[in-house]
Amino acid sequence: MKLIIHDLGPEAQERLSGKGEQVLYADGKYAPCQGCFKCWTKHPASCGIRDRLQETARVIGQAEDLTVITGNCYGGYSPAIKRLLDRSIGTSTPLSTYRGKQMHHTLRYGKHGKLLVKVYGDVSEKERETWRLTAERNAVNDGFAEQQVLFFATKEEAEAAEA
Amino acid sequence: MKTVLIDCSPKKRMSASGFIASMTDVFLRGKREKEKLRVPADHARILEKVKDADNAVFSMPLYVDGVPSHVLPFLKEAEEYCRENGLHPNVYVIANNGFIEGRQNEPLMRIMENFCDRAGLIWKGGLGIGGGVMMNVMRIMITVFFALMLISLVLSGFGTAPLITFGQQLLSVLLLGCGIIAFDLRLAACINRGKSYGKHYTRIMVPSFVFILFADIFFTVLSVFQGGIFRGWLKAKKPETVSRKQAE
Repeated sequence: MKLIIHDLGPEAQERLSGKGEQVLYADGKYAPCQGCFKCWTKHPASCGIRDRLQETARVIGQAEDLTVITGNCYGGYSPAIKRLLDRSIGTSTPLSTYRGKQMHHTLRYGKHGKLLVKVYGDVSEKERETWRLTAERNAVNDGFAEQQVLFFATKEEAEAAEA
Repeated sequence: MKTVLIDCSPKKRMSASGFIASMTDVFLRGKREKEKLRVPADHARILEKVKDADNAVFSMPLYVDGVPSHVLPFLKEAEEYCRENGLHPNVYVIANNGFIEGRQNEPLMRIMENFCDRAGLIWKGGLGIGGGVMMNVMRIMITVFFALMLISLVLSGFGTAPLITFGQQLLSVLLLGCGIIAFDLRLAACINRGKSYGKHYTRIMVPSFVFILFADIFFTVLSVFQGGIFRGWLKAKKPETVSRKQAE
């Protein structure tokens, strides 16, 4: 299963959902992570905050490929997308291992296929370098076999681009 | 010289970021103010403090290889505020993560540097700490050892043995954090002089396999007490809402 996470707006949500893929619209109308780790220690892969992100870790964890369409925020994910990702660390377990010669958490849902990040908006050269590093680190952390970052001038181009 | 230390942890209590900010505060000269950034209501108050500051020191945890999401709207607001008011304070960052390698904070550092570029602030560098959560364990250990020493002192009729034992325990705990303390001292010296610090990474001074072992034990014990270990602790859980629909 391929999962798309985006912050493009409600109209884009309708268009993307019509293509038969699972789509999560990050509208930012939910609480940020409180850093309690209870998605590891109390109710595995489920967040203690009772809003619509409560089980997002379970949805992301089950995706084979993940595409994230996001605005640029200093070389990282937009606040709405980052809020969703911060609330999804239940895709891993509290136990640790070595991956890429560094410490990481073991994967609750096993390895994944491809992480594709489509970034739209004004992105400086330094920010592009930061994006490449961030995607690389995300892929190692979440167990993706490969990752790619693409840059687009507008939301529409990012949504339309096939990759 | 005025320095504003911003603790960016979302936690109300026992935050490693807050502890490291407080430790840095001890080494700083001039006027200092420590602020907590947890909710949007904190933004205006912190920006007002930054208005006449020479230095802003952000202390934050690493979340999903980046800046915690609740900090990003503040950075956006700060960018606008600093541009409108022509503010150019020096920015230093202290990042800590739950992994042992301090270098895993690198993407966060770069994001903060990019923020400075956009907002016209002066990026002065940062310190990335691996195993930052151990700072909390260290302070608990020091408190427990101190309490035990006081009890021993009373029971032994105020002999010197409990003092010596406490001294040894204190030294061993400080040895674990010696890299963090040394790098933090150097960071504070740079802040005091308004100098660039560059980017430096350090960690708790234990081998990584020992750290992993203790982290696993810590989370296992916590999961027993909080019950997660009995609720499919390591299982690939399916979304309950989806499962319910399938059952129907």
